[in-house]
Amino acid sequence: MAQVTTAERKSIFSLFNLIAFIVLGVGVYLTYLRFSGGLASVTNLSDYNPWGIWISFDLLCGVALAAGGYVTSSAVYLFGMKKYHSAVRPAILTGFLGYALVFLAINYDVGRPWRLPYPLVVQQGTTSVLFEVGLCVATYLTVLFIEFSPAAMEWLGLKKARSLVVKLTILLTIFGVVLSTMHQSSLGALFLIAPSKLHPLWYSPYIPIYFFVTSIIAGLSMVIFESTLSHRFFAYKMDETHLQEANGVTLGFGKAASYVLAGYFAIKVLGISTENHWHYLTTGYGIWYLVELLGFVALPSLLYAFGVRTKSLGLIKFTSVLAVLGVILNRFNVSLVAFNWHLPSSERYFPHWMEIGISVFIVMIGLVLYRFIVTRMPILYEHPDYKDAH
Amino acid sequence: MSISRRKFLGWVGAAGLSTTIGKSAAAATNKHFTGYPKSFAILHDTTLCVGCRSCEAACNKVNELPQPDKPFTDLSVLETKRRTTTKAFTVVNKYDNSKGPQSPVFYKKQCNHCLEPACASACFVRAFTKTKTGAVTYDSTVCVGCRYCMIACPFEIPTYEYDQALTPRIRKCTMCYPRVIEGLLPGCVEACPMEALSFGKREDMIKIARERFRKYPDRYVDHIYGEHEMGGTNWLYVSGTPFKELGMREDLGITPAPQLTAGALSSVPMIVGLWPVLLAGIYAVSKRKEKIAQTEQEQALTSALDKKRPAESETEEES
Amino acid sequence: MAKGKSLRIGAGISVAIIILLIGFMGALDVTALSKTPVDTQSIEFRSDIVTFDNMEAFGKLEKTKAVFLHDQHTDTLEKKNKDCLACHKTENGRMSPKFMRLKDVGREELTKIYCDNCTKCHTDTISAGEKAGPVKCDECHKERPLIQSSRVPMGFDKSLHFRHYRAQKNKCDRCHHEYDKKNRKLFYAKGKEGTCRYCHKEKPEGDDTEKVISMRFASHLACIDCHQKTQAKQMDAGPLRCAGCHDAQEQLKIEKVKNVPRLKRGQPDNTIIKTGDKKGRIARMNQVPFSHKNHEEYNDTCRVCHLASLASCATCHPLVGSNKVLKNGRDITLETAFHKRGHQSSCTGCHESKQQDKNCAGCHAFMSKTRQQESTACLRCHMVPLPERTGELSTSRAAKMARLMPQLWKETFGPIYKVVVPKTVVINDLVDQYEAVEYPHRKVYDTMVKKLDRSKLAQYFHYEDTMLCLGCHHNTPAAGKPPRCGNCHDKPFNENNLFRPGIMGSFHQQCIGCHQKMGIEKYTGCTSCHKERKKQS
Repeated sequence: MAQVTTAERKSIFSLFNLIAFIVLGVGVYLTYLRFSGGLASVTNLSDYNPWGIWISFDLLCGVALAAGGYVTSSAVYLFGMKKYHSAVRPAILTGFLGYALVFLAINYDVGRPWRLPYPLVVQQGTTSVLFEVGLCVATYLTVLFIEFSPAAMEWLGLKKARSLVVKLTILLTIFGVVLSTMHQSSLGALFLIAPSKLHPLWYSPYIPIYFFVTSIIAGLSMVIFESTLSHRFFAYKMDETHLQEANGVTLGFGKAASYVLAGYFAIKVLGISTENHWHYLTTGYGIWYLVELLGFVALPSLLYAFGVRTKSLGLIKFTSVLAVLGVILNRFNVSLVAFNWHLPSSERYFPHWMEIGISVFIVMIGLVLYRFIVTRMPILYEHPDYKDAH
Repeated sequence: MSISRRKFLGWVGAAGLSTTIGKSAAAATNKHFTGYPKSFAILHDTTLCVGCRSCEAACNKVNELPQPDKPFTDLSVLETKRRTTTKAFTVVNKYDNSKGPQSPVFYKKQCNHCLEPACASACFVRAFTKTKTGAVTYDSTVCVGCRYCMIACPFEIPTYEYDQALTPRIRKCTMCYPRVIEGLLPGCVEACPMEALSFGKREDMIKIARERFRKYPDRYVDHIYGEHEMGGTNWLYVSGTPFKELGMREDLGITPAPQLTAGALSSVPMIVGLWPVLLAGIYAVSKRKEKIAQTEQEQALTSALDKKRPAESETEEES
Repeated sequence: MAKGKSLRIGAGISVAIIILLIGFMGALDVTALSKTPVDTQSIEFRSDIVTFDNMEAFGKLEKTKAVFLHDQHTDTLEKKNKDCLACHKTENGRMSPKFMRLKDVGREELTKIYCDNCTKCHTDTISAGEKAGPVKCDECHKERPLIQSSRVPMGFDKSLHFRHYRAQKNKCDRCHHEYDKKNRKLFYAKGKEGTCRYCHKEKPEGDDTEKVISMRFASHLACIDCHQKTQAKQMDAGPLRCAGCHDAQEQLKIEKVKNVPRLKRGQPDNTIIKTGDKKGRIARMNQVPFSHKNHEEYNDTCRVCHLASLASCATCHPLVGSNKVLKNGRDITLETAFHKRGHQSSCTGCHESKQQDKNCAGCHAFMSKTRQQESTACLRCHMVPLPERTGELSTSRAAKMARLMPQLWKETFGPIYKVVVPKTVVINDLVDQYEAVEYPHRKVYDTMVKKLDRSKLAQYFHYEDTMLCLGCHHNTPAAGKPPRCGNCHDKPFNENNLFRPGIMGSFHQQCIGCHQKMGIEKYTGCTSCHKERKKQS
């Protein structure tokens, strides 16, 4: 286990801390504005565009990028791929923080966040896909919390509680995959109700499946991406196992992502084929669709494959960024670019800088919390007292 | 992971019982809702509308909405196309008449009170109710403000009070539900001098429209907008020029909105039921493969050792 | 190093995909990006567009049809002192409208005729240093969305016919001919003249041995040739350019002769329309006195009623229907031919179309087209009792009866009401937000009577003063004092009277509707009819 030396601990006035301070400060101020002046004072939302980047980025992308949790835990615990074990805790942590931040962002977006429990306890709108999303996300957040808790309990020395929770691992993992399948696909299913507002190339009865598959891609790629960042900034916290398994994780996940991207590409093309939407490809939107499909799905698939084959970790890491951007691009396209495509440009939406500010604020909270947890709790290393655990 | 027979039977029994709780997932059926019998509808005849905006004024008065910047007698607002806002549940817009360039066509736009409303289907707290009178009403006491209804509405009607910090509401036409249940007419219907808005049972409104087509075939386009669009609405329109020219979308189809998400939602019980089995199976298989690999490893070890041992035991026995 | 190599190769793959993407974009017809939307302001509308579609007879086309601007060529050649004969050949002294040929030829030869001749002339012109048309295939055979046809069909009306008739010094045989099948010759048959269109139809008919050429070909063959010859004699002639006949503006310039003398072709002045069929059956309906002379004045052509021949209607239209499918109107019964609404050739149809006039539409637009008239309405035309009651009438007596009958009928049968139209009617049924309406009833009535006096047709059918009242006081028998609106129109949306507007709606629909249809723009806004009610405190 690596020792934390005072020499390596950074000064409180590091660049990151400075930026974080500014962002958090601005964020707090924007929060005040949001709750004193209403959504109109901080957003460019309108009656034609009720959902902006808080939904597109914080919800849709956030949930997708936090998918590494279920992907990794199912790979290790259900498929028995023990060599990725060291990637589980970071992935679960990312997932937990990701979903927690999604919940935080939702509190900004909805008109009356104190009523968020209403669909569960007051009146259930079971005909709504959003109900299912809410229910599953809330449950999954709990599941993630429980899955994450052993690390916290190890830090706090709660041995009995920890051993109890660890016994539930398989059950929680299965539950987590079931919940993830449902809510990842349901995020896409949200748009099924508005075929008249979504461009035919992006609207498909298969949207739920597309969103589910891209969540797997996002999960795999985010694990690679975060492992890259963690190694850059937190290598000193990592233990032998972690450092040794790291390359294996990158290669293995890269390989998996390559396959999934290829499959995704295929079902996208099949989706166009079954609806006979080829002629849309020659329009402006069609070109943009091809950019998304070829540049951010086909290309990463090939690059991943190539990187794995030649064991080029650098290429795989670069491709993971590309793939993550692709998922973000797809979610943005579905919810912002191809949505309301029929409206004149005067009615189209572009985010207010304050909306972007809040999103950055939320991401910054996530980074700060991640750093806090990773530098104190046994995420990147195994706690010496619990080495027997697995 | 072993489980006792008793425990297993207990779980299965509980799961079975749990399926008896709850109502039918009406969202996920393919039943066709043709409206509550005797529900009311409004027929808007755009060939009669003269764009006087009396309906807008009446709506404003009945719903106690704030006064607009320009009074309702100001017809210059008709030069721009307007949409419903938090202060205007209904708007009248002016369009060019392709059949007679001198006389423009007017069209009153408001919530269409669909038979199977997209907003009601989309709302995850059931803030919208399709009432027996035909009106789709909104309950602001449970609304969380997620605005999914605005995404869902194909007619782009619901508006949101973005400028309210603590009590933002969705606003839309209510078909004057409180008035209708007392036997009164909706405000706009009562106010229209030309009777461009007719009020009565939905079946009767369709009859009236068809009768008008029969009597004046060259005056009307032979189509009642809202009879089947999005599964049917309780606000019907007839027009002398193609509906497209009035800014009404003719590509919405006849599938009711709830049916669009019924497929995705109906898969939920299947996933909940089958995924755990599938994943548990995968887990079991991978565990079994581990076990087999372990056993094979041990066997390989013992056989390798056995090959060595006979020599050793002989030497041991000898020594 | 493997890493570096793989990165390079990875970059190479990225570049390849991007090139593919760009190539894909370029190869496809990117509609949104490449083609600028057609600016409707820059479309040129021409009436001289000839689209060469002769190749269609040979099956699927290989290239788009070439669009030819005839007047442009005519004008250009004129400047060079060349005339029609530069492109058109003559046969039997007449110029053929076909290009560089007299007979229709096969595919190969036809292609050669057009391509070789056109390109030769263009090439020669270019070598002479002037601007000319295209010389390459695709320059002619291309889509020309910025040039659209504004050609208006041309025909004779009685004024134009009269001018030709006069110019030809009453020699009908100059244009009118019949066809002798046995001897396969054209000849002139006096008394059988009719419009060209009775034989020459839209498309050529018959086979190659006995083809009846299309109206388009026949008219250009006959008309252009004659105009050309006349002009050659330095006399006033009709146009030679396409636009001269087919341009909408030019058509308006054609001189219209007022009071065209009547063309004598053996038609009656007044007659009684009595019909029978070849089986000896006669119509059992009262016969209709008909002034053929007056109707000649009311219409510009004979063709508007005599669709297929100048013979009587019963020649083609059967008295009794059958269930066979026959051609050329022979399965349309006489009843339909006379009474079909919406068709200009039927009596009822033509009369009904006159109701759409602005002076009449105020009342007539709101009368349902599909309403069932009471049977007594037939008597307005069917007023001559059958011969079994009157005996056979000689031609002259029939004509006399036809002339006198309408007046006799009116004096004998028309009920006379004393119509008292009040000066002002105060409509105070709905006083609430607004004061009562002071309706200037007399003024409106008098205006309508004045409009009525301008139209003989209107006067015939509004034979009684009370007929005018029925325009507004509808769904009630004609009477001197008709019921009030509120007697029938009550609460709106009444289940007992589903199709009847309520009282407020009926007032506004009637008044505002009439104003709209008659183009009266004076009364806009609520207060132009009723003042706003001052709220009493």
